[in-house]
Amino acid sequence: MSRYIATRAIRGANALVSEAEAMLEQALGERGPETPVAFPNTAYYLPVIFGMMGKEIGQLGELPGILAHARSLLHPTPSEEHWTPYLGETLDSGMATLIAAEVIEAIRYVYGLQPESMPGFKLAGGTAFTSPDSDGGDGGPDGHLNGAIDDIQLRSWGIQLVDGRMPGFAAIVGCARSNEAAVQIVRQLQQRNILCFLSGNVNGRSIIDQLAEEGVELGYDTYTVPFGRDTISAIYALGFATRSALTFGGLKGGQAREILTYNKDRVFAFVLALGEVDDLKYSAAAGAINFGFPVIADTVIPQILPTGVTTYEHVVSMPWNEIEGADDSEKAKRLVQKCIEVRGVKIRMADVPVPVPYGSAFEGEVVRKADMRAEFGGRGSRCFEHLKMAKLDDVTDGKIEVVGPDLSTVEDQGSMDMGIVVEVAGRKMEQDFEPVLERQIHYFVNGASGIQHIGQRDITWIRISKKAADVGFSLEDFGKILHARFHSDFGAIVDKVQVTIFTDPALVEGRLAEARRAYDFRNRRLADLTDDAVDEFYSCTLCQSFAPNHVCIVSPERLGLCGAYNWLDCKASFSINPTGPNQPIRLGRKLDAVSGYWEGTKDYARIGSHGVVEEVAMYSIMQNPMTACGCFECIVMVIPEANGVMVVSREDTSMTPAGMTFSTLAGMAGGGIQTPGVMGVGKYYLISPKFISADGGFKRVVWMSSVLKEAMARELEVVAERAGDAELIERIADERSVTSVDELLPWLEAHAHPALAMDPIF
Amino acid sequence: MPVEIPKDSWPGAVNTVTLGATGDQGGSRTSTVTIGGERSLPFMHFESPMPHRPAIAMEIAPARPADWSAVLLEAWGATADDPGSWARACEEAGADLILLQFGLKGSGDEPVSADFAVAAVKAVLGSTGLPLVVVGPGQAEVDNSILVPIADATKGERLVLGLCEEGNYRTLVAAAMANDHLVLGKTPMDVNLAKQLNILMSDMGLGRDRVVMDPTTAALGYGIEYGYSVMERLRLAALQGDGMTQFPILVTPGAEAWKAKESKVGEGTPAEWGEWRQRGMNWEALTAVSLVEAGAHVVVLRHPESLRRVRAAIDELMASETA
Repeated sequence: MSRYIATRAIRGANALVSEAEAMLEQALGERGPETPVAFPNTAYYLPVIFGMMGKEIGQLGELPGILAHARSLLHPTPSEEHWTPYLGETLDSGMATLIAAEVIEAIRYVYGLQPESMPGFKLAGGTAFTSPDSDGGDGGPDGHLNGAIDDIQLRSWGIQLVDGRMPGFAAIVGCARSNEAAVQIVRQLQQRNILCFLSGNVNGRSIIDQLAEEGVELGYDTYTVPFGRDTISAIYALGFATRSALTFGGLKGGQAREILTYNKDRVFAFVLALGEVDDLKYSAAAGAINFGFPVIADTVIPQILPTGVTTYEHVVSMPWNEIEGADDSEKAKRLVQKCIEVRGVKIRMADVPVPVPYGSAFEGEVVRKADMRAEFGGRGSRCFEHLKMAKLDDVTDGKIEVVGPDLSTVEDQGSMDMGIVVEVAGRKMEQDFEPVLERQIHYFVNGASGIQHIGQRDITWIRISKKAADVGFSLEDFGKILHARFHSDFGAIVDKVQVTIFTDPALVEGRLAEARRAYDFRNRRLADLTDDAVDEFYSCTLCQSFAPNHVCIVSPERLGLCGAYNWLDCKASFSINPTGPNQPIRLGRKLDAVSGYWEGTKDYARIGSHGVVEEVAMYSIMQNPMTACGCFECIVMVIPEANGVMVVSREDTSMTPAGMTFSTLAGMAGGGIQTPGVMGVGKYYLISPKFISADGGFKRVVWMSSVLKEAMARELEVVAERAGDAELIERIADERSVTSVDELLPWLEAHAHPALAMDPIF
Repeated sequence: MPVEIPKDSWPGAVNTVTLGATGDQGGSRTSTVTIGGERSLPFMHFESPMPHRPAIAMEIAPARPADWSAVLLEAWGATADDPGSWARACEEAGADLILLQFGLKGSGDEPVSADFAVAAVKAVLGSTGLPLVVVGPGQAEVDNSILVPIADATKGERLVLGLCEEGNYRTLVAAAMANDHLVLGKTPMDVNLAKQLNILMSDMGLGRDRVVMDPTTAALGYGIEYGYSVMERLRLAALQGDGMTQFPILVTPGAEAWKAKESKVGEGTPAEWGEWRQRGMNWEALTAVSLVEAGAHVVVLRHPESLRRVRAAIDELMASETA
């Protein structure tokens, strides 16, 4: 925490508490202790005081005790010479400021000074207010600002804040650089459905004055509420936040800690300080930080960047004249974008804005040559896609650029080079998620009617149908699809998405080389990702709907048996959906490195299988093998006579040496039952160094469906090399040569299979 | 020879939930319904007595439903024209509570509106003292547009608001929390999905005593065994101590059974299917009793005769407690 900020916040708090004490003393003298105090139309008394202290204030006479508490929270300013920790002191002072501010506003309500009068001003909907001293006394919306928000509006907005329709609120305090800047800032926030609370001034001029002069309607109806033209009225924003927690969080008055945490975790609010920040603003900001609301200023102030009380940075300075942008409107856009980043507000994308119908129903569509407008990739051109992580500041969300010739330059049924480069940034994004997200491009692009997407990486092949081109589908639309879908499906890890589509052949060349370096890097990363290199595996209970007691334990070297979920997928899935089917399993102490037992996997096996399975060995088929649902790509089964195992592919319908076909075997392997000697696995587990490594590894494979040998020829070559026997794959029988155990043994002998000479598998 | 019956002792229990609030409790109901609290599988009285009986809710609609079997409409007669009189008829027929099911239509051909929905709910609350479950048409946006105003207009009644699904649970849970109501979560026949929704709703701070779950069931002959199995597994997990499966269960055998061809079709059926009316009631009662045995805490029915039959079956199952 900045000592400068601490000093000024603590000083501001001391001053405000003293001011409140003086006002209260005078009010008690003039009006008497029995005078009722209340904010209009609320059941939450003075809400911050009620929430933080649990006191149900109804009369002036109850306020001295409140201010005494505020005073007890004050501290001396940090010493110039001896630095002691002052975060706690500053936060306490912030809280004292909020309490004092609420007391001051309550007294002003007694005197009819709230809501603040502003002759000629008309509210576009606001708190119904009745006071004999206020303008006209009719409670009408004219001639005054809003003051505190009433409970009816709290419910209506609060529910939208809770369910996410409204991403958050901005407490804007001060005065913008210009009227145009003020209008643009509010417009930018409104466009994102972010509620704006306005208060404060700089040298007597408030953003409320600026907006009023520009004819911007202010009030409930336009989601911009003018609280008042001094900083103290910003307290209503925190009263609103406190009441949100009380109403929608099921909390009670006095549960201060719970209320503050609720706001930090669920109410995506922030303070936007416009113009010079004085002591009072610093101390009010310190109060807001208690709620987990960060402060962003458009002037030069010391920053507090480490995370702690708020989710991300506490105080961020973004001086207006240093913001890039040709005009105030562009600057406002960047400032608001920064606020959203600092608070971690998630933007929701409802629709995919493309001219063709969009939905998963179109995923399987085929665009035939005759119906095609143009293609990218395939035989006539190059096409690739590359998703990379970038820094938050280096990505402009929603920016889509086509670099090179457009679709119109391609002859009918012609082809063109294209490279789709997606840059994503996010607080929770990790480089490991790049391939997981990149693979989604296939599904996202295919969702557009009239677009066909095949392949991935540098073997991508995309076709646009005539029909789609006729209704106006352009290359830019690929970017719009990806921007919308990454936000809607991966919003938990992705905050910003920018898409560049390269069609200029020379640029495609260069970007393709860069993409290939990335693919290569990822391949190597995957090779390095071993079970020993991580301290968490993941569970997968996706299939428990039909195999209730089966649970997959997915490790870097053993992917899910369906082949669809590897360790990285599970990790990303957990980030996106923390209560979903993929949960981390902390490994804890390693109990048996050979068979693959950890404390964590042992405990989880029992919980995940609801007590049906006691233990699971990650690397053995003989003792406590992992169970299976029914989705396995292959079945591995021990052939005792051959001292090894056979591997049958799901695609192989022929007879196996076990005397059973795949479908009969599937009955034994599936259903979440542990059967030593039988196991359902994903085919890429076959090539893992940890493939039944406790039982002798890949050299145990004596028979394997030919379809696997062919489809995985390259990978199997590597396995053979690793085993030190280049001929290993040729020594393995398949259904073309052997369909019974009687045929198997002579065949293995004739081919000198290593399993025959290995230790007994039993 | 005396046979000793082995007894299971479970570490967990189903949550106890009270539906409806009386005048003293901040509502206007004359009776409330408390469900749950079991520490054993259903009706295993010798292991642990069941603290509460399974309850029977009768389903009504805000206007005479166009898609209900003629057999049902005949049974309810003119009372079905108006939700208030229909609810009163249900109370007289012996229902424990009422379930008001909204469709996409309001009065006539108009789409259902907040005003229409609030008026219907008020009519029901005004004409019966039974606790009430209110269920929207099942489209997240429409559900939100009517259930939030209903929640606001009936603060303190401890209504059960449904359906909370993955798409709209936040809105409904918030509305329920702000107005002292309960919610009904619905998931498509899957233990883990049910559990996940329960986690999400609980994460919002909703108390354990304010959630009822509908894990979805099917009618006899149309997949009831799947529904049965999911309910059974949820109960087993609950008893084993998994907190996120311990919510009491509400299922809708009435709606499911009357969708089945056997109860819907009156003409051109084989003679051995027997008389249509009896067949429909048999279908509903059999479906419902099976689900009660699977561990349902509330079964929602449509025909008054089914109510009588299911009630008799529950009486018998509960009577074995003392036998």
